[in-house]
Amino acid sequence: MGVRCSCSLFPFYSFFKFLKGTNDMREQLEQMRQQALSAIAAATTEEMLNEVRVRYLGRKGELTGLMKGLGTLPADERPKVGQLVNTVKDEVEAQIEQTMNRAREEATAKRLATERIDVTLPGRGRRQGSKHPITLVIEEVSEIFAGLGFSVAEGPEIEHDWYNFEALNFPPEHPARDMQDTFFVENQMLLRTHTSPVQIRTMLKQKPPVRIIAPGTVYRCDSDATHSPMFHQIEGLMVDTQVSFADLKGILTTFTNQLFGQKTGVRLRPSFFPFTEPSAEVDIACVICGGTGCRVCKQTGWLEILGAGMVDPEVFRHVGYDPETIAGFAFGMGIERIAMLKYGISDMRLLFENDIRFLKQF
Amino acid sequence: MKVTYNWLKEFVDFDLSPADLGHLLTMLGLEVEGMEQLGGGMDEVVVARVLEKNQHPNADKLSLCKVDNGKEILSVVCGAQNFKQGDTVALAQIGAVLPGDFKIKRSKIRGEESCGMLCSEKELNLADESAGIMILSSDLPLGTPFFEAMGLKDTIFEIGLTPNRADCLSVIGIAREIAAKLGKRVRYPSIVVPEYGQPVDSKVSVAIQDAVGCPRYAARFISGCKIAPSPAWLVNRLNAVGVRSINNVVDITNLVMIELGHPLHAFDYTQVAGGQIIVRRAGEGEKFRTLDGQERTLTATDLMICDRDRAVALAGIMGGENSEITETTTDILLESAFFDPPTIRRSSKRLGLHTESSHRFERGADLDMVPKALDRAASLMAQLAGGNVATGRVDNFPAPKALASITFRPERANAMLGLSLTAERMAELFRNLEFQVQPVSNGSFQVTIPSYRIDIEREIDLIEEICRLNGFDQVVATMPVAQVISDRPSLHQRLQRSVRDHFVAEGMHEIVSFSFIAADAADRINLNADDPRRNGIKLCNPLAAEQAVMRTTLLPGLLETASRNMSFRSLDLRLFEMRRVYHPVPDQEMPHEPVYCAGLISGTRDQESWCQQDVDVDFYDAKGIVENLFELLQIRGVRWSSEEPEPFYHPGKCCRIVVGNSTIGTIGEIHPEVLKRYEIEQSVYYFELNFEELVRLSGSRKAIVAPSRFPDSVRDLALLAPLDLPSAQLIDCVKSLKLQELEKVAIFDLYQGDRVPEGYKSIALRLRYRASERTMTDDEVQQVHQKVIVTLMGKLGVTVR
Repeated sequence: MGVRCSCSLFPFYSFFKFLKGTNDMREQLEQMRQQALSAIAAATTEEMLNEVRVRYLGRKGELTGLMKGLGTLPADERPKVGQLVNTVKDEVEAQIEQTMNRAREEATAKRLATERIDVTLPGRGRRQGSKHPITLVIEEVSEIFAGLGFSVAEGPEIEHDWYNFEALNFPPEHPARDMQDTFFVENQMLLRTHTSPVQIRTMLKQKPPVRIIAPGTVYRCDSDATHSPMFHQIEGLMVDTQVSFADLKGILTTFTNQLFGQKTGVRLRPSFFPFTEPSAEVDIACVICGGTGCRVCKQTGWLEILGAGMVDPEVFRHVGYDPETIAGFAFGMGIERIAMLKYGISDMRLLFENDIRFLKQF
Repeated sequence: MKVTYNWLKEFVDFDLSPADLGHLLTMLGLEVEGMEQLGGGMDEVVVARVLEKNQHPNADKLSLCKVDNGKEILSVVCGAQNFKQGDTVALAQIGAVLPGDFKIKRSKIRGEESCGMLCSEKELNLADESAGIMILSSDLPLGTPFFEAMGLKDTIFEIGLTPNRADCLSVIGIAREIAAKLGKRVRYPSIVVPEYGQPVDSKVSVAIQDAVGCPRYAARFISGCKIAPSPAWLVNRLNAVGVRSINNVVDITNLVMIELGHPLHAFDYTQVAGGQIIVRRAGEGEKFRTLDGQERTLTATDLMICDRDRAVALAGIMGGENSEITETTTDILLESAFFDPPTIRRSSKRLGLHTESSHRFERGADLDMVPKALDRAASLMAQLAGGNVATGRVDNFPAPKALASITFRPERANAMLGLSLTAERMAELFRNLEFQVQPVSNGSFQVTIPSYRIDIEREIDLIEEICRLNGFDQVVATMPVAQVISDRPSLHQRLQRSVRDHFVAEGMHEIVSFSFIAADAADRINLNADDPRRNGIKLCNPLAAEQAVMRTTLLPGLLETASRNMSFRSLDLRLFEMRRVYHPVPDQEMPHEPVYCAGLISGTRDQESWCQQDVDVDFYDAKGIVENLFELLQIRGVRWSSEEPEPFYHPGKCCRIVVGNSTIGTIGEIHPEVLKRYEIEQSVYYFELNFEELVRLSGSRKAIVAPSRFPDSVRDLALLAPLDLPSAQLIDCVKSLKLQELEKVAIFDLYQGDRVPEGYKSIALRLRYRASERTMTDDEVQQVHQKVIVTLMGKLGVTVR
């Protein structure tokens, strides 16, 4: 006990004061309370409040000292005085806490009131890159057809004549071959002129039903403002027991409405492809003018975006399907054409120049 | 194929405006690609009369005229001399716009006012050349628009025919389609040939030596023709459809070809030795001069029309110079024949000689039209060239062909098309097409096809005709009833998307470059002489030297793209391409077409910024992109190997990317020599990965570990290591201890320079220790850390600084 008192003069002193009697102690306590509260009231910062807390409530604080002196009181006095000291302690504690909170709030408010940044300065970090518009269109078209139950199939770009032409009912020496100027490569092979050979490869691999689309790169020996020697197509094929030309119209209507977000549907016109019969060119209402006529649609109100038709029985025979028991339709579209319409690109060459100022816009 | 509105009206009655007719044709599958009004917008060119023709007071070669346009008298200055007072002329009044956007305005010519222009045929686009102004018939009403008064007002339709519709390469063919759609009948021209005296057999004989090449050959003999310019109506008609007038006889053969679709040829009879026609194949290497003056070298597959002594025409393609119609020709041998389409096509293609005639024969002419076209032309020659047509015609037709007859099931047509037409309606549609319909027992039809519809061979062709004539717009869209569950996109497809997304998130822009590259690209990127990537697949018929070989690497395309962008001062580039390359496979026809993905970065690391200094990208920026990709694809065990550097990289700043035993890609700074060849003046970093390998290696997922809830201890370790020690070895060495308590080890500082001994570098490692089930004491951490230090020093010869 003596050692402990010698550590700090102050509790030792108060202890003696306390010994003078319970009444004296009450007076002391009241005085201590008053001092503490006024010290709290005078404190303006968190630090000052912390000092007050240490002085009265700390391990060696004044109120703590009183508490420690209780042991010297007669046993019957102890609970009463102890309770008294605790009440004061709690009051001081609560007051400090309350004032402390207020001080913190004020400090925060003051800080928030003075701190300002220029929110118009650009943010830090790298900007997003971009996918090529051709990729964007392929991904979007694939997604739409996935919703219609079509899987994605792929095939080689360097092809046999048989897959690219003969199996698709383009006989050798047939004028229809003039529709597709062909690049030939070594080994009697050619660069596929359309994605249609993927139809043949798919049907040779699997039995009906078939529902595929085949996006890919194709090549034709032709280059001017509206033709690129390399371009892209998406082929579609559906074969099942009951598939009709009306279903082809239904699928293409759904597709174009989803792709261009309009409800105008499609117009089918008779055409010719060796591998489909009947064959159709598919027009959509002009996405630029809505059908009233403009430069893009050459005043017709219609835009040609697809070729389509019912799979020719000759094609089924080439892949070992029985044209009497199954039917199917196929369609194909140019991706560049769709990208140009969708994004309002006026010149196809922009798609292959890869100018970063163009690519950044996607 | 060009036809005109008025010409069509001669063969079929219709009550449609030109625009409506155009729509009808398009919806029949005869796509109208263009419409041109003949004389359209030229209503200000009117018929007028010259009242006075006086000398211009200030110019010797000009005249000053008073002209009556029916309403007023105008004064007009004219430079032509070929007219006189009282002549009726075509006057372009003020406000007229002549071809070539030539606007007529009020003007003063040498001080005299001129209120219009007297027109020549050339000025009105009616002829290529003209000597003076047009003098018109005096009975034309003054003031009427010139084109109307002349009956020249017409609409020209340019029709883009699909190759199957050979029957529509004629006015009559298109008229047939209109009639079929409208349920009308075509008026075929009535042909009466005035025949004289001597029988044709006495003048002409035909021998077909190759009946495959020529199944039918008919001819007539016409004597006493007077070769002269064609009358205006014939010239105008040919002009309207884009055929140049030559002389009356040649024009007649062209007119009949366009009207009836059958090509004819007129020979100068005196040049056909013995009046004998022999149809045979050419001798190999035989020379022949066609009437365009070109000498052609023939092969044994070319079909020739010959006389007793020599060849006189390249069958179905072009006549010979030796027997063409000249101004002095009087007697004519007129040919109308049918030639085998593939034979004509092969010769025409090989010789690069595509004519109106070959175009029709290679698509398939009409066997039955052979005598009709012959007679039509002969009657016109009698009429317009004063010729005497010998009696009868030679018609050599060894094996006449019966008309095709096809069984047709109406219910199958409805099922295929999604229609519900009655059998009667379908029969009606066929009859409108001039097909003959015979019902057979089970509800089917037997349909007989006219000879000109060579495209109709099977039931499906008839089904198409039903759909086409009934109207594609009559098909109501339905959705298919089918049981198909589509496959989920393959791993290959899904990862392609992930990889692209990754590059985009790394701030890179995707490019699409051509699959074919320049043959010298391999040299430009420094490939070694024996590099297999030099053996790209070559195009046999490239369009340009820069597009000659299928690429084996994506590098040339990306370098070219970078170079082009830099030339536009776009210097900060982050590009990627993800597409196929083409690798020949020895002893196999089909090459391998793996997808590669490649990236190119150059310029500053971040966009210009207010808060940081511009720093140029380096090797480690590129490597970071690839490392993140591997993390995304869960590819582990990657080694960065400096062995065997690629020749297009800086030898000290590149490596191969190896997993297991396979190189799956390379990365590095592009060699300055290569950059110079692409005119690039700043450092460029590149990586190229074989995407097929990425797919194969992807998804090696590590077991998921629950994170420890206990505190960590971090120790830094500064080491002095030999300069050439790869840093990765330090990390690998630490990791090889497989210490459970080691959570992470990373290099956080690297120093080479004055403050370390020469030949050494200082590398600082930061090691984070943490146990999964308890708090580690200082002693424990120290023990483990010591083990790391001892191992590093022992194995790699490094010392602690």
